[in-house]
Amino acid sequence: MIVADRKKIPEIRDMIRSHKRVLLVGCGTCVTVCLAGGEREVGILGSALRMSLKLAGCTVAVDEYTIERQCEDAFIDALAPRVKEYDAIVSLGCGAGVQTLAERFPTTPVYPGLNTQFIGILESQGVWTEKCLGCGHCRLGEFAGVCPITRCAKRLLNGPCGGSREGKCEIHADTECAWQRIYDRAKALGILAKFDAIAQPHDWSTGIDGGPRKVIREDQCIAGMGPKA
Amino acid sequence: MAETSTTSVTVSVDGRVSTVSAGTTILDAARQMGIAIPTLCHYRGLSPYGACRVCLVEIETPRGPRLVASCSHPIEEKLVVHTDSQTVLAARRTVVQLLLAQAPQSTELAAFAAKLGIENTPFERKAEGKCILCGLCVRVCKDLMGRGVISMFGRGATRVVRPAFGEQTDQCQACGACVTVCPTGAVDLAATTARRPVPHRTGYDQYLCARPSIDMAHPQAAPRVPAIDRDNCVHFQTGECGLCEKVCQAKAIDYEQQPKTLDLDVGAVLLTPGFQAFDATKRMEFGFGLLPNVLTNVQFERLLSASGPTEGHVRRPSDDQPPKRMAFIQCVGSRDPSRKKAYCSSVCCMAATKEAIMAKEHEPDLDVTIFYMDIRAFGKDFERYYNRAKELGVRYVRCRPSSVEEVRPTSTLRIAYVDQDNRCQEDEFDMVVLSLGLEPSASLQEQAERLGILLNEWGFIQTDGLHPLDTSRPGVFVGGAFQEPKDIPDTVMQASAAAARAMTLLASARGSRIRTKTYPPERDVTDEPARIGVFICHCGSNIASVVDVEEVVRRTRTLPHVVVAEHNVYTCADDTQDMIKDKIVQYRLNRVIVASCTPRTHEAIFRDTLRDAGLNPYLLEMANIRDQCSWVHSSNPQLATQKAADLVRMAVGRSALLVPLAEETVPVKNAALVIGGGLAGMTAALALAQQGFPVHLVEKEDRLGGTVRDIYRTLDGLDVQAFLTETIERVGANSRITVYLRSRVTKVDGHVGAFKSAIAGGDKTSEVEHGVVIVATGASEHKPTTFGCGQSERILTQLELSGKLGRGELKLPPKATIAMLQCVEQRTSERPYCSRVCCTTAIQNALDLHEKYPDARIVVLYRDMRTYGFREIAYQKARQAGVLFVRFDESAPPTFALDSDGQICLTSRDMILQRDIEMKPDLLALAAPIVGRADRQEISDLLRVPLNADGFFLEAHVKLRPVDFASEGLFLCGTAHAPKFLSETISQAHAAAARATSILSRRSMPVGAQIARVDPDKCVSCMTCVHVCPYMAPIVGEDNKAEIQQTVCMGCGSCTSECPAKAITLRHYVDGQVLGAIDLLLNAETASASPLDLPLLEQVGVARPRWRKG
Amino acid sequence: MESEPIILALCCHYCAYAAADMAGSMRLQYPSSVRVLRFPCTGKIEVNYVLSAFERGIDGIMVAGCLEGGCHYLEGNLRARRRIERAQQFLDEIGLGAGRLEMFNLSSAEGPRFAEIATEMHERIVKLGPSPLRRERAAVMAGVEKIAQESLAALAGETK
Repeated sequence: MIVADRKKIPEIRDMIRSHKRVLLVGCGTCVTVCLAGGEREVGILGSALRMSLKLAGCTVAVDEYTIERQCEDAFIDALAPRVKEYDAIVSLGCGAGVQTLAERFPTTPVYPGLNTQFIGILESQGVWTEKCLGCGHCRLGEFAGVCPITRCAKRLLNGPCGGSREGKCEIHADTECAWQRIYDRAKALGILAKFDAIAQPHDWSTGIDGGPRKVIREDQCIAGMGPKA
Repeated sequence: MAETSTTSVTVSVDGRVSTVSAGTTILDAARQMGIAIPTLCHYRGLSPYGACRVCLVEIETPRGPRLVASCSHPIEEKLVVHTDSQTVLAARRTVVQLLLAQAPQSTELAAFAAKLGIENTPFERKAEGKCILCGLCVRVCKDLMGRGVISMFGRGATRVVRPAFGEQTDQCQACGACVTVCPTGAVDLAATTARRPVPHRTGYDQYLCARPSIDMAHPQAAPRVPAIDRDNCVHFQTGECGLCEKVCQAKAIDYEQQPKTLDLDVGAVLLTPGFQAFDATKRMEFGFGLLPNVLTNVQFERLLSASGPTEGHVRRPSDDQPPKRMAFIQCVGSRDPSRKKAYCSSVCCMAATKEAIMAKEHEPDLDVTIFYMDIRAFGKDFERYYNRAKELGVRYVRCRPSSVEEVRPTSTLRIAYVDQDNRCQEDEFDMVVLSLGLEPSASLQEQAERLGILLNEWGFIQTDGLHPLDTSRPGVFVGGAFQEPKDIPDTVMQASAAAARAMTLLASARGSRIRTKTYPPERDVTDEPARIGVFICHCGSNIASVVDVEEVVRRTRTLPHVVVAEHNVYTCADDTQDMIKDKIVQYRLNRVIVASCTPRTHEAIFRDTLRDAGLNPYLLEMANIRDQCSWVHSSNPQLATQKAADLVRMAVGRSALLVPLAEETVPVKNAALVIGGGLAGMTAALALAQQGFPVHLVEKEDRLGGTVRDIYRTLDGLDVQAFLTETIERVGANSRITVYLRSRVTKVDGHVGAFKSAIAGGDKTSEVEHGVVIVATGASEHKPTTFGCGQSERILTQLELSGKLGRGELKLPPKATIAMLQCVEQRTSERPYCSRVCCTTAIQNALDLHEKYPDARIVVLYRDMRTYGFREIAYQKARQAGVLFVRFDESAPPTFALDSDGQICLTSRDMILQRDIEMKPDLLALAAPIVGRADRQEISDLLRVPLNADGFFLEAHVKLRPVDFASEGLFLCGTAHAPKFLSETISQAHAAAARATSILSRRSMPVGAQIARVDPDKCVSCMTCVHVCPYMAPIVGEDNKAEIQQTVCMGCGSCTSECPAKAITLRHYVDGQVLGAIDLLLNAETASASPLDLPLLEQVGVARPRWRKG
Repeated sequence: MESEPIILALCCHYCAYAAADMAGSMRLQYPSSVRVLRFPCTGKIEVNYVLSAFERGIDGIMVAGCLEGGCHYLEGNLRARRRIERAQQFLDEIGLGAGRLEMFNLSSAEGPRFAEIATEMHERIVKLGPSPLRRERAAVMAGVEKIAQESLAALAGETK
């Protein structure tokens, strides 16, 4: 799941204060589950923004609307007829949602209402942690199901380092040492011997550094719409 | 009234055509059509006379229009009448102007004329006079009363109404009918009658104001119908009159009704006849009945009441002025052996304190003095209340005045007394209130004999210290002040307890005569737009004296969806509720708002009203304009009115979006969990088990009995240990009681009717299911840290002393000096309550010691002796036996020293001698406070029930629900509630059992309809609800969507407040309903759509429908 | 602008509402600015309700729940406190100031305490002055009137 959290009200207010009519768009998928951009948060933000704008002396109308998934065109269709009435959009979706909306509405400014954080999980109610970097080449099989690329501060593939203390990482007392977790789990699985070998360097060519990535399933592509026309 | 006929005729009045029976007068026909015609000499029930001519109307005849008196002109077929033509108005004006000249001094007539717009008369006014010679008085006296005492004399300008020869006559019965009917206030009864007219006075208002011979007993009487006072009604006395029968349109008057004797087959009898107040005229020296400004406390209570004769304004009777100084005299008819009232009436100290505080609230500058002997603030939180009164400036003077004298001509009252410095004082007061004692109801004295019930020396029912509910006759039980003077909570407790005793006898017959109330089928209002009816209550004058109720009605009528708004004197009265039902039908209402008192007491009543009218009970909304408005803003009627209007508006906003909810039922587990195996717990357990309910009795120690194991005798000499042993045996022998010793309850889950608890004992934990919990965990005697407690074996607490006495372990020299010190570490700022039992315990121990050591010197150092009820007799006995009682003041408590040789040295300031008294007692007994058990917080957390500031469990309502916790299905009894005597503990334990039975006796009970619900289409399966719910009610179902388990959900709404997709709603508190209230209060300026615009039912709680594929 | 503020008291049925009733039966006087809205538990009080009320111009809100540890529904009041703290953060960011919103805990036995906190809140709001979003009563009533007209029209349509 993509995890995001809210931007402060003044930041959003200042982005939209020059507009007249703004639509606040929530997303009913990942950001609802992480309690950042669902219908409830849209309602709260809407109320807060209207008050904040009014107190700042701006006359901006702010309305609210939540769709199933902002990164899916079909769902955006529901939004389309309404957007005409607004001169800007604040998206409470993840970065993908914001950009999908921007692409769909070329003449309407789209602003982010959230800070998209990471791919992660709910650790306990109200606490989310990062679990995956999206490096494009998953090696969790080598590391007993614990990702050192995401969860080790140094991204060490051959850990742990000297900063591992009682299961915690030296960067923060609350941060688990990924390598301790890998060791514990490997021990439990009886595969410690695997770690006698040196892990090969990571192939970062599949990562974000090579520019935006694409995944193509030829069999799924539809004539006239996919890359293999 | 004109003769009625079966033939009907048509009549046209002011252009409106109607059919009436032939012979009806024009006046009656017009009134039936809702057209008002003014009259002076017309009186319903008297034949028409046509004297005043005010009721002139114009009729059309073949010979042209004609003016006739409408009161006497019968209607013939196709009559055309004009009541407001120019001719009529001009004629009426002249008539009234002539009457004004005839009776220039009648303010009533002037007011009548002013209403018609006639302020003046061009005719020469007579020099004086009020009479217009309409003859009503003459007719009423002759025709209705059959007397004919007065008649018209003379002719023309000298015509007058008077008795024969103008002399007063005893032919006149002084009934006052002539005064009542006279439209101009002209009748002077004294000029006619040779008797002395005496107004009948209302017993309800303590004879402070007059009432008619047909009257409602009091505003909330049940049934709420008037009754005729046969002793004063003219019809019952002479056979004449009968006016009420003539005017009652409902034909409800029945002079033939006779008292009925009913034969009932019953298995048990509960005696609850209550008490009556001591007859204040028996203490003539206080002047009651002779001096107008001497009132009884019950009269004063009426003066304070908003529905009383002065509408809650404190006024002294002699001149109707607010008093500046007033005094209460306590113990009038109590603690008075010379008048055979040796007992203490228990309630008067607090009643006077309450009345003093209330009087000061009404009149902040009022000076209040209370003359008392001991302030007996022994009940739960009473001491705090007493302290508050002192802080508010109520002056307490410890002296029993011997008389009250009137000072003329001001009618103020002089009281001579001795102040605490032993100086004679004299004070004058504007008003004196006598705190009357309670005596058993006189009518029951002979009945008791017929019932074969033994009464005690004072005429109260004879019970004993271990069987406070049982009379001398098996199957006859007693509750309330007929057993012993007691106040409301003790009365409620004892009444419930008496019910438990009866239920034990009648268990086998339970349910055999039940009739279930049936309701009309519920009207489906799903597709109707809201049609709201608003009923705004005066609550007598509780609301209406502060809030301008009519203004609130006016403002409410303009609110959205409101189709009818009305105000009622008592909305909860039966007839008003019937009226609401009628309005629901008449206006097709589908939402009802009652703006009155708190929904905490009245929601259930009005919900039932809705059900009776075929509406779902959840379509009711209440606005609390009494407890949370008129009562708390009485100093600012204008703002209070505005707030009341706002509260009603909020209710309208919420009400528009209320939806019907269905209540479901769950089975009840007919077993009880009783926590605490002391006398309270065992008594409750037995009372339940004897009715057939299984009981789990949990005791933390290794044996049953609790504190009572250290108590040996009751004040009336009964053997407590024998009783305890017998009780323990009965518990052991009862197969329905499972006893868990050395055990604790570690978990209580579930809800009323279906609890699941864990009882841990040793290494074993048992899971039990039960429908109720009774908390009977008791209390402990606190070991004082002062006065050498624990430093010498000659310093004991009273409980230790009675234990030693009971076991015969006490060894004292025959001429020992024994000191008893009361109020040790209690009634202090640290522990500001009274432990209730210590005074009596001290006296009991003193009497026991005196019996054992007749030559011993026993000194009791006390602040107030709180030997309430019949305990007072023991106090008198102790004094007679030579026990010395020495009072000390809280500001100068006795000082204590313990010599190196173990000699106790106690010094106390005697308030009467004004000297220090020093003593070296051989034994010092300390009245230690009773405190809550050490594990009280644990129990409080376990059951989620509150403790009060003193560490005792807090009941749902201190007066009316003394054994219930606020949470359903949880009850309490015994000293866990507050310090109390054995007999009171036994009563309360039975009461708790009775209250528990009200649940256990059901097969099933409704679960709240007000629970959470998930819209699966909106659920994103985020698990937030699952994590948030403290009851684990939400589960993720097979379709991976959350769902709420109905019986587990308690309806707190926590999940609904967090669900990020707004997929969960709490029924009855959905967004639309909450925001609807806020919206109408403040009105949404910016919101693009008001929640009221949403279609009803389906979408409330849904901010806006989410787009879904397909 | 009227000088009398309007304060909403969002009260739990089991404690604060009962305490308010008790204040009534004790005839304790407190400022009439406080209007009570009853909830089954403060756990039901949503951030959105609070913000909506401020948006509509309320001057202050007091949320009153059971004593900590004494919630009739175990922990609704604890969750409410966190939620109210979050709403206070929003109020600060908006510029209204967190001081206009406060959560109190009291038991059903504390009638005098209710009167005390109502007075305290009233005094605090008087000091803060009316909410800058506050609307004239006349404007509010005109808005209500408008809704009433619409509802009348709806009722009329329905009876046709």
